[in-house]
Amino acid sequence: MGSFLARRIFYGALLMLGVVVLNFFLIRLAPGDPAVVIAGEMGGATEEVLEAIRIDYGLDKPLPVQLGIYLGNVLRGDLGESFFFNQPVVDLIGQRIGPTILLVVAAQVLSIVVGIFLGVLAARKPNGAMSAFVSVFATIGYAVPVFWTGIMLIILFASVLPVFPVEGMSSVKLREAAWYIKVLDVLHHLVLPAVTLAVIYLAQYARLSRASMLEVLGADYIRTARAKGAKERTVLFRHALRNAALPILTVAGLQFGNLISGALLVETVFNWPGMGRLAFDSILRRDYPTIMGVLFFASAMVVVANILTDLSYRLADPRLRGRA
Amino acid sequence: MSLLEIDALKVTFQTRHGAVTALDGVSLTLNAQETLCVVGESGCGKSITALSTMGLIPMPPGRIVGGAIRLNSEDLTKASEARMRALRGAEIAMIFQEPMTSLNPVFTVGDQIAEAILLHQDVTRDAAWNAAVALLDRVGIPSAAERAKAYPHELSGGMRQRVMIAMAVSCRPKVLIADEPTTALDVTVQAQIFDLLNEIQRDFGAAILMITHDMGAVSEMADRVAVMYAGRVIEEGLADDVLDHPRHPYTRGLIGCIPSLDHAGALKEIPGVVPPLHLLGEGCSFAERCDFARQTCRARQPVLRGAAHRVACFGAQEGWA
Repeated sequence: MGSFLARRIFYGALLMLGVVVLNFFLIRLAPGDPAVVIAGEMGGATEEVLEAIRIDYGLDKPLPVQLGIYLGNVLRGDLGESFFFNQPVVDLIGQRIGPTILLVVAAQVLSIVVGIFLGVLAARKPNGAMSAFVSVFATIGYAVPVFWTGIMLIILFASVLPVFPVEGMSSVKLREAAWYIKVLDVLHHLVLPAVTLAVIYLAQYARLSRASMLEVLGADYIRTARAKGAKERTVLFRHALRNAALPILTVAGLQFGNLISGALLVETVFNWPGMGRLAFDSILRRDYPTIMGVLFFASAMVVVANILTDLSYRLADPRLRGRA
Repeated sequence: MSLLEIDALKVTFQTRHGAVTALDGVSLTLNAQETLCVVGESGCGKSITALSTMGLIPMPPGRIVGGAIRLNSEDLTKASEARMRALRGAEIAMIFQEPMTSLNPVFTVGDQIAEAILLHQDVTRDAAWNAAVALLDRVGIPSAAERAKAYPHELSGGMRQRVMIAMAVSCRPKVLIADEPTTALDVTVQAQIFDLLNEIQRDFGAAILMITHDMGAVSEMADRVAVMYAGRVIEEGLADDVLDHPRHPYTRGLIGCIPSLDHAGALKEIPGVVPPLHLLGEGCSFAERCDFARQTCRARQPVLRGAAHRVACFGAQEGWA
């Protein structure tokens, strides 16, 4: 297990290196001169000013040298300075990555738990009403764009049924409250963004676990469990689900990247102070170092999520242990 | 009073062709501590009989439409699901045909045996685990304490079937149903499993209802034999009587299919296949494949007749077949 983890982390680091290099060239491919952007796009900067900026930012050096400097900086934890905020990108992201992780993890957990639960209920009676509901819900949930779900929820909860806050992450009026009140306040704010982000994936997991459970429930060892005298609930959740969970885990791991890009939209719709919101604003402002930083951290989250998926896969299925 | 009495059991399955009668008035008795072998070709209703007794027929599409299954005089066809759960694994246990797929791949074999014990006995987890190890040792698994921590994929087919047997006898059931327990195994392993089942029966005092299509298994195991064909019992009696003096042409055909070393030449076979259940007519269901069939055979259904050795065949009953 230890060597497996070490190897996965090594591959993850290699992958991150690839991401950094790719990001670097991607930004260099973008049209326009960074010096012009930095100096201000009004076009008022003289050639001397631009030249000074280029020297200042190391843009006068050949590309491979620039890449080397950039990689060295990244390794030291320096992702450059935002053109817009004039602050280190690492600080900007540091302030915002917490809310994003909170949102993404909450949505992931919500979609997996509720999705699997619905799927199991549906699989129990494949021709029943629950099964039909899951199929219809899955199709709709998958088809509806996340920003539309968000806007509909805002309309519903801003005017018709004002029980959840529809904007931001915390209430200003609770600034002086005790810590646990603040935690509850954040969770209260989390409900709508997390639900919005979860709906698509929840629908997918429900459908997937329904299919996976149906297959597993026909297996011989399920009959063995029943022959022992196990309760139906034990048969479903202990004997069947552990086996049916494997394909769900795979998809959940793969979906994590999509979840992060979905978070970008959801954060924008709900004004959630996360990385997605920062990325969105930075793209509009052509704040290249910040965009690169956001990409770097988003990639790192996906890499970490994939390592965790592989680990949980091995925990769930003993047949995979002891293999590379 | 027999331990287990299956009395005129009738089971139907809903299919594309409408309701098909899978079991048509099957009657069997199993006395305490004896071994009854139920033999017949695929699709004759052997496994449905076993699963009905366990209360494990998928309903729908299956349905018990008539008859009774009495365990110690209690009719299982009328028992609640909770009652059946209490009986399953405790009073009646089952060993399945496919040891490769009958164990859950994500739990250790020790866990799976301990679970059966915990479901029916008021013991601690540790006690159940220790009992599981003792059972593994009893069914002949070397270094049982270690193997209890193994996952099914780490064991051979023969070992897995031993684990299934350990699990089935873990609560000392009175009735042990074995559905072709050796079909998926090597011949040498088959003999070991038969020996083990015989030992287990002696030590644990269980009655065994064994389902098989292997006449060799019958001669190894059976006190009595019931031969099934197309959802009916067509011949029944003491194993020696039936094996040495088969009366139904179908039973004679089955016995003729056993290869033997001193009998050179081609093996005999029974022409044709078991007819599809939805196409069964009025008469004897074997008539189409029978060398002796007469007009009566196609017109009426013969019933089981006789004292100790009973047969459902007009020819055998009247002495012309």
